[in-house]
Amino acid sequence: MRVNTADRGPVAFAAVLCGLLLAGPALAHEGTGLAGGFVAGLLHPVTGPDHLLAMVAVGLWGAFLGRPLVYVLPVVFPTVMAFGGALGMIAATLPPVEIGIALSVLLLGVAIALAFRAPVWAACVLVAVFAIFHGYAHGQELPSAADPLGYSVGFVLSTGFLHVVGIGLGLLKDRPHGALITRGMGGLIALAGVYFTGAALLGA
Amino acid sequence: MGGALPPALLCAALGVALSFAAWRSVIVGLALVTVSAVAGAFAPLPESWRELVLVGCWLTVAAVAALVHLPSGVGLPLASVAALLAGGFAGAAVAAAGAPLDLSIALPCALLCLPGRWLVVRGRGIVVKVLSSWLIAVAVLAAALSLAVPTAGYEPDHME
Repeated sequence: MRVNTADRGPVAFAAVLCGLLLAGPALAHEGTGLAGGFVAGLLHPVTGPDHLLAMVAVGLWGAFLGRPLVYVLPVVFPTVMAFGGALGMIAATLPPVEIGIALSVLLLGVAIALAFRAPVWAACVLVAVFAIFHGYAHGQELPSAADPLGYSVGFVLSTGFLHVVGIGLGLLKDRPHGALITRGMGGLIALAGVYFTGAALLGA
Repeated sequence: MGGALPPALLCAALGVALSFAAWRSVIVGLALVTVSAVAGAFAPLPESWRELVLVGCWLTVAAVAALVHLPSGVGLPLASVAALLAGGFAGAAVAAAGAPLDLSIALPCALLCLPGRWLVVRGRGIVVKVLSSWLIAVAVLAAALSLAVPTAGYEPDHME
Protein backbone atom coordinates (compact mmCIF):
# COMPACT_ATOMS: atom_id res chain seq x y z
CA MET A 1 0.00 0.00 0.00
CA ARG A 2 1.37 3.41 -0.93
CA VAL A 3 1.27 6.02 1.80
CA ASN A 4 0.66 9.62 0.88
CA THR A 5 3.37 11.99 2.19
CA ALA A 6 0.74 13.98 4.08
CA ASP A 7 -0.43 10.82 5.84
CA ARG A 8 3.00 9.79 7.10
CA GLY A 9 2.65 11.60 10.43
CA PRO A 10 -0.49 9.73 11.54
CA VAL A 11 0.93 6.47 10.19
CA ALA A 12 4.14 6.97 12.16
CA PHE A 13 2.07 7.84 15.22
CA ALA A 14 0.01 4.69 14.78
CA ALA A 15 3.21 2.65 14.45
CA VAL A 16 4.63 4.13 17.67
CA LEU A 17 1.32 3.53 19.42
CA CYS A 18 1.21 -0.11 18.29
CA GLY A 19 4.78 -0.54 19.52
CA LEU A 20 3.81 0.82 22.93
CA LEU A 21 0.69 -1.31 23.16
CA LEU A 22 2.51 -4.46 22.10
CA ALA A 23 5.30 -3.91 24.63
CA GLY A 24 5.71 -6.62 27.23
CA PRO A 25 3.73 -6.23 30.45
CA ALA A 26 6.77 -6.15 32.76
CA LEU A 27 6.86 -3.03 34.91
CA ALA A 28 10.05 -1.17 35.74
CA HIS A 29 11.53 -1.24 39.21
CA GLU A 30 10.76 -4.89 39.81
CA GLY A 31 13.71 -6.76 41.33
CA THR A 32 16.65 -6.34 39.04
CA GLY A 33 18.95 -8.55 41.06
CA LEU A 34 22.51 -8.37 39.84
CA ALA A 35 21.87 -6.33 36.75
CA GLY A 36 24.79 -5.76 34.41
CA GLY A 37 26.38 -2.34 34.02
CA PHE A 38 25.94 0.30 31.35
CA VAL A 39 23.76 -1.72 28.95
CA ALA A 40 21.40 -2.88 31.71
CA GLY A 41 21.04 0.73 32.88
CA LEU A 42 20.46 1.88 29.32
CA LEU A 43 17.74 -0.71 28.74
CA HIS A 44 16.08 -0.45 32.13
CA PRO A 45 13.89 2.63 31.53
CA VAL A 46 13.02 1.43 28.02
CA THR A 47 11.82 -1.98 29.17
CA GLY A 48 9.56 -0.63 31.93
CA PRO A 49 6.46 0.99 30.43
CA ASP A 50 5.71 3.10 33.51
CA HIS A 51 9.12 4.73 33.48
CA LEU A 52 9.18 4.94 29.69
CA LEU A 53 5.81 6.66 29.46
CA ALA A 54 6.63 9.09 32.28
CA MET A 55 9.91 10.11 30.63
CA VAL A 56 8.31 10.53 27.21
CA ALA A 57 5.46 12.48 28.85
CA VAL A 58 7.91 14.89 30.49
CA GLY A 59 9.41 15.72 27.09
CA LEU A 60 6.02 15.81 25.41
CA TRP A 61 4.52 18.14 27.99
CA GLY A 62 7.59 20.38 27.86
CA ALA A 63 7.33 20.62 24.07
CA PHE A 64 3.62 21.30 24.37
CA LEU A 65 4.22 24.11 26.85
CA GLY A 66 6.96 25.61 24.69
CA ARG A 67 9.84 27.80 25.86
CA PRO A 68 11.31 27.80 28.45
CA LEU A 69 9.81 24.54 29.75
CA VAL A 70 10.73 22.55 26.65
CA TYR A 71 14.31 22.64 27.88
CA VAL A 72 13.89 23.39 31.57
CA LEU A 73 11.97 20.18 32.32
CA PRO A 74 14.63 17.87 30.78
CA VAL A 75 17.22 19.71 32.89
CA VAL A 76 15.19 19.57 36.12
CA PHE A 77 14.19 15.92 35.85
CA PRO A 78 17.59 14.13 35.77
CA THR A 79 19.10 16.50 38.32
CA VAL A 80 16.33 15.94 40.87
CA MET A 81 16.11 12.25 39.94
CA ALA A 82 19.71 11.84 41.09
CA PHE A 83 18.85 13.28 44.51
CA GLY A 84 15.89 10.90 44.63
CA GLY A 85 18.34 8.12 43.80
CA ALA A 86 20.51 9.12 46.76
CA LEU A 87 17.41 9.01 48.99
CA GLY A 88 16.71 5.51 47.68
CA MET A 89 20.24 4.36 48.47
CA ILE A 90 19.98 5.44 52.08
CA ALA A 91 16.44 3.99 52.19
CA ALA A 92 14.88 7.27 53.32
CA THR A 93 11.17 7.06 54.09
CA LEU A 94 8.93 8.15 51.22
CA PRO A 95 5.25 7.58 50.42
CA PRO A 96 4.75 4.36 48.38
CA VAL A 97 7.08 4.79 45.44
CA GLU A 98 5.20 2.64 42.92
CA ILE A 99 2.05 4.70 43.50
CA GLY A 100 4.07 7.90 43.01
CA ILE A 101 5.49 6.58 39.74
CA ALA A 102 2.08 5.47 38.52
CA LEU A 103 0.58 8.84 39.44
CA SER A 104 3.34 10.58 37.52
CA VAL A 105 2.25 8.76 34.35
CA LEU A 106 -1.42 9.52 35.06
CA LEU A 107 -1.04 13.22 35.90
CA LEU A 108 1.43 14.00 33.13
CA GLY A 109 -0.87 12.25 30.66
CA VAL A 110 -3.87 14.23 31.93
CA ALA A 111 -1.89 17.49 31.76
CA ILE A 112 -1.02 16.81 28.10
CA ALA A 113 -4.51 15.60 27.20
CA LEU A 114 -6.15 18.68 28.72
CA ALA A 115 -3.43 20.96 27.30
CA PHE A 116 -2.88 22.23 30.84
CA ARG A 117 -0.64 25.29 30.62
CA ALA A 118 0.99 25.23 34.02
CA PRO A 119 3.12 28.18 35.18
CA VAL A 120 6.84 27.52 34.85
CA TRP A 121 7.38 27.10 38.60
CA ALA A 122 4.41 24.74 38.97
CA ALA A 123 5.52 22.54 36.08
CA CYS A 124 9.03 22.40 37.53
CA VAL A 125 7.79 21.49 41.01
CA LEU A 126 5.44 18.82 39.66
CA VAL A 127 8.13 17.22 37.49
CA ALA A 128 10.67 17.47 40.32
CA VAL A 129 8.35 15.61 42.70
CA PHE A 130 7.85 12.87 40.11
CA ALA A 131 11.60 12.74 39.50
CA ILE A 132 12.14 12.05 43.21
CA PHE A 133 9.96 8.93 42.98
CA HIS A 134 11.60 7.64 39.80
CA GLY A 135 15.06 8.34 41.19
CA TYR A 136 14.20 6.69 44.49
CA ALA A 137 13.19 3.50 42.71
CA HIS A 138 16.44 3.48 40.74
CA GLY A 139 18.46 4.31 43.82
CA GLN A 140 17.05 1.30 45.62
CA GLU A 141 18.19 -0.89 42.73
CA LEU A 142 21.62 0.62 42.21
CA PRO A 143 23.39 -0.92 45.18
CA SER A 144 22.55 -4.41 43.95
CA ALA A 145 23.62 -3.84 40.36
CA ALA A 146 26.78 -5.54 39.18
CA ASP A 147 28.29 -2.26 38.02
CA PRO A 148 26.33 0.55 39.72
CA LEU A 149 28.34 3.35 38.15
CA GLY A 150 27.96 2.04 34.59
CA TYR A 151 24.33 1.28 35.38
CA SER A 152 23.65 4.84 36.55
CA VAL A 153 25.39 6.34 33.50
CA GLY A 154 23.23 4.07 31.30
CA PHE A 155 19.92 4.93 32.84
CA VAL A 156 20.61 8.66 33.05
CA LEU A 157 21.47 8.63 29.32
CA SER A 158 18.42 6.52 28.52
CA THR A 159 16.17 8.82 30.54
CA GLY A 160 17.56 11.83 28.70
CA PHE A 161 17.00 10.22 25.31
CA LEU A 162 13.41 9.37 26.26
CA HIS A 163 12.88 13.06 27.05
CA VAL A 164 14.25 13.90 23.62
CA VAL A 165 11.82 11.38 22.05
CA GLY A 166 8.99 13.05 23.98
CA ILE A 167 10.08 16.48 22.76
CA GLY A 168 10.22 15.14 19.20
CA LEU A 169 6.67 13.81 19.49
CA GLY A 170 5.54 17.05 21.15
CA LEU A 171 6.84 19.13 18.25
CA LEU A 172 4.12 17.51 16.15
CA LYS A 173 1.83 20.11 17.71
CA ASP A 174 3.02 22.67 15.17
CA ARG A 175 1.75 20.57 12.27
CA PRO A 176 -1.80 20.35 10.97
CA HIS A 177 -3.91 18.42 13.51
CA GLY A 178 -0.70 18.06 15.54
CA ALA A 179 -2.14 19.48 18.73
CA LEU A 180 -4.95 16.94 18.54
CA ILE A 181 -2.46 14.11 18.02
CA THR A 182 -0.26 15.17 20.94
CA ARG A 183 -3.30 15.56 23.18
CA GLY A 184 -4.44 12.13 22.03
CA MET A 185 -1.06 10.73 23.03
CA GLY A 186 -1.51 12.40 26.40
CA GLY A 187 -4.89 10.71 26.74
CA LEU A 188 -3.37 7.31 26.00
CA ILE A 189 -0.57 7.96 28.50
CA ALA A 190 -3.20 8.93 31.08
CA LEU A 191 -5.10 5.69 30.39
CA ALA A 192 -1.91 3.73 30.96
CA GLY A 193 -1.44 5.78 34.14
CA VAL A 194 -4.90 4.71 35.33
CA TYR A 195 -3.86 1.08 34.82
CA PHE A 196 -0.52 1.57 36.61
CA THR A 197 -2.18 3.42 39.49
CA GLY A 198 -4.80 0.70 39.87
CA ALA A 199 -2.13 -1.99 39.82
CA ALA A 200 0.02 -0.08 42.31
CA LEU A 201 -2.92 0.53 44.66
CA LEU A 202 -3.94 -3.12 44.51
CA GLY A 203 -0.36 -4.19 45.12
CA ALA A 204 0.15 -1.74 48.00
CA MET B 1 34.76 2.75 41.23
CA GLY B 2 37.98 4.04 39.70
CA GLY B 3 39.39 3.78 36.20
CA ALA B 4 39.07 6.32 33.44
CA LEU B 5 35.38 7.13 33.91
CA PRO B 6 35.54 9.57 36.89
CA PRO B 7 38.34 11.74 35.43
CA ALA B 8 36.78 11.53 31.96
CA LEU B 9 33.42 12.78 33.20
CA LEU B 10 35.19 15.48 35.21
CA CYS B 11 37.00 16.71 32.12
CA ALA B 12 33.72 16.50 30.17
CA ALA B 13 32.06 18.63 32.87
CA LEU B 14 34.82 21.22 32.48
CA GLY B 15 34.36 21.12 28.70
CA VAL B 16 30.64 21.70 29.15
CA ALA B 17 31.29 24.65 31.49
CA LEU B 18 33.89 26.19 29.15
CA SER B 19 31.30 26.12 26.38
CA PHE B 20 29.89 29.24 28.02
CA ALA B 21 33.30 30.98 28.29
CA ALA B 22 35.15 33.35 25.98
CA TRP B 23 37.94 31.93 23.77
CA ARG B 24 40.65 33.31 26.05
CA SER B 25 39.11 31.55 29.06
CA VAL B 26 38.74 28.34 27.04
CA ILE B 27 42.41 28.28 26.10
CA VAL B 28 43.57 29.14 29.62
CA GLY B 29 41.18 26.54 31.07
CA LEU B 30 42.37 23.78 28.73
CA ALA B 31 46.00 24.57 29.51
CA LEU B 32 45.41 24.64 33.27
CA VAL B 33 43.43 21.41 33.33
CA THR B 34 46.17 19.61 31.40
CA VAL B 35 48.97 20.84 33.64
CA SER B 36 47.10 20.25 36.91
CA ALA B 37 45.86 16.81 35.82
CA VAL B 38 49.37 15.64 34.91
CA ALA B 39 50.73 17.04 38.17
CA GLY B 40 47.92 15.41 40.15
CA ALA B 41 48.44 12.04 38.47
CA PHE B 42 51.95 11.83 39.86
CA ALA B 43 51.02 12.97 43.37
CA PRO B 44 51.90 10.35 45.97
CA LEU B 45 48.52 9.71 47.60
CA PRO B 46 48.01 7.39 50.56
CA GLU B 47 45.77 4.39 49.83
CA SER B 48 43.37 5.57 52.53
CA TRP B 49 42.57 8.70 50.50
CA ARG B 50 41.07 6.71 47.62
CA GLU B 51 37.41 7.04 48.61
CA LEU B 52 37.85 10.68 49.62
CA VAL B 53 39.45 11.57 46.29
CA LEU B 54 36.71 9.83 44.30
CA VAL B 55 33.94 11.56 46.25
CA GLY B 56 35.74 14.87 45.72
CA CYS B 57 36.00 14.04 42.03
CA TRP B 58 32.24 13.43 41.73
CA LEU B 59 31.31 16.53 43.73
CA THR B 60 33.61 18.56 41.49
CA VAL B 61 31.88 17.10 38.41
CA ALA B 62 28.52 18.31 39.76
CA ALA B 63 29.85 21.73 40.77
CA VAL B 64 31.72 22.39 37.52
CA ALA B 65 28.84 21.15 35.34
CA ALA B 66 26.46 23.43 37.25
CA LEU B 67 28.48 26.49 36.12
CA VAL B 68 26.55 26.42 32.83
CA HIS B 69 23.59 27.93 34.67
CA LEU B 70 25.44 31.12 35.62
CA PRO B 71 23.60 33.93 33.88
CA SER B 72 26.79 35.86 33.12
CA GLY B 73 28.66 32.87 31.68
CA VAL B 74 32.02 31.58 32.87
CA GLY B 75 34.62 34.35 33.20
CA LEU B 76 38.40 33.93 33.19
CA PRO B 77 38.89 33.72 37.00
CA LEU B 78 36.10 31.16 37.37
CA ALA B 79 37.28 29.17 34.34
CA SER B 80 40.80 29.08 35.82
CA VAL B 81 39.62 27.92 39.25
CA ALA B 82 37.32 25.31 37.70
CA ALA B 83 40.11 24.04 35.45
CA LEU B 84 42.58 23.80 38.34
CA LEU B 85 40.03 21.95 40.49
CA ALA B 86 38.97 19.65 37.67
CA GLY B 87 42.54 18.89 36.67
CA GLY B 88 43.67 18.39 40.25
CA PHE B 89 40.88 15.99 41.08
CA ALA B 90 41.11 14.20 37.71
CA GLY B 91 44.81 13.64 38.26
CA ALA B 92 44.30 12.61 41.87
CA ALA B 93 41.57 10.16 40.83
CA VAL B 94 43.98 8.60 38.34
CA ALA B 95 46.71 8.45 40.97
CA ALA B 96 44.40 6.95 43.58
CA ALA B 97 42.26 4.59 41.54
CA GLY B 98 43.43 4.41 37.96
CA ALA B 99 46.36 4.07 35.61
CA PRO B 100 48.41 7.00 34.22
CA LEU B 101 47.16 6.15 30.72
CA ASP B 102 43.61 6.93 31.89
CA LEU B 103 44.51 10.60 31.52
CA SER B 104 44.94 10.10 27.79
CA ILE B 105 41.27 9.09 27.71
CA ALA B 106 40.07 11.70 30.18
CA LEU B 107 41.78 14.89 29.03
CA PRO B 108 40.42 14.87 25.44
CA CYS B 109 36.92 14.95 26.98
CA ALA B 110 37.59 18.59 27.94
CA LEU B 111 37.57 19.33 24.20
CA LEU B 112 33.81 18.94 24.45
CA CYS B 113 33.95 22.71 24.87
CA LEU B 114 34.58 23.07 21.11
CA PRO B 115 31.27 21.61 19.84
CA GLY B 116 29.64 23.01 23.01
CA ARG B 117 30.78 26.53 22.26
CA TRP B 118 29.72 26.12 18.64
CA LEU B 119 26.22 25.29 19.87
CA VAL B 120 26.16 28.14 22.41
CA VAL B 121 27.21 30.71 19.82
CA ARG B 122 24.35 29.53 17.57
CA GLY B 123 21.80 29.88 20.34
CA ARG B 124 21.60 26.15 21.05
CA GLY B 125 23.15 26.37 24.51
CA ILE B 126 20.25 24.42 25.94
CA VAL B 127 21.69 21.22 24.44
CA VAL B 128 24.82 21.83 26.52
CA LYS B 129 22.70 22.57 29.61
CA VAL B 130 20.78 19.31 29.19
CA LEU B 131 24.10 17.46 28.86
CA SER B 132 25.33 19.16 32.03
CA SER B 133 22.21 17.99 33.89
CA TRP B 134 23.02 14.40 32.85
CA LEU B 135 26.57 14.82 34.17
CA ILE B 136 25.25 16.25 37.44
CA ALA B 137 22.83 13.34 37.79
CA VAL B 138 25.57 10.74 37.26
CA ALA B 139 27.90 12.59 39.63
CA VAL B 140 25.32 12.83 42.43
CA LEU B 141 24.49 9.13 42.06
CA ALA B 142 28.15 8.15 42.01
CA ALA B 143 28.95 10.30 45.06
CA ALA B 144 26.00 8.79 46.89
CA LEU B 145 27.19 5.32 45.89
CA SER B 146 30.56 6.08 47.44
CA LEU B 147 29.05 7.43 50.62
CA ALA B 148 25.87 5.47 51.20
CA VAL B 149 26.28 1.73 50.99
CA PRO B 150 28.90 -0.84 50.05
CA THR B 151 27.63 -2.16 46.73
CA ALA B 152 27.70 -5.80 45.89
CA GLY B 153 29.05 -4.97 42.44
CA TYR B 154 32.36 -3.72 43.76
CA GLU B 155 32.98 -6.41 46.32
CA PRO B 156 35.08 -9.40 45.30
CA ASP B 157 32.90 -12.37 44.40
CA HIS B 158 33.55 -16.01 45.29
CA MET B 159 35.93 -16.43 42.33
CA GLU B 160 38.28 -13.63 43.46
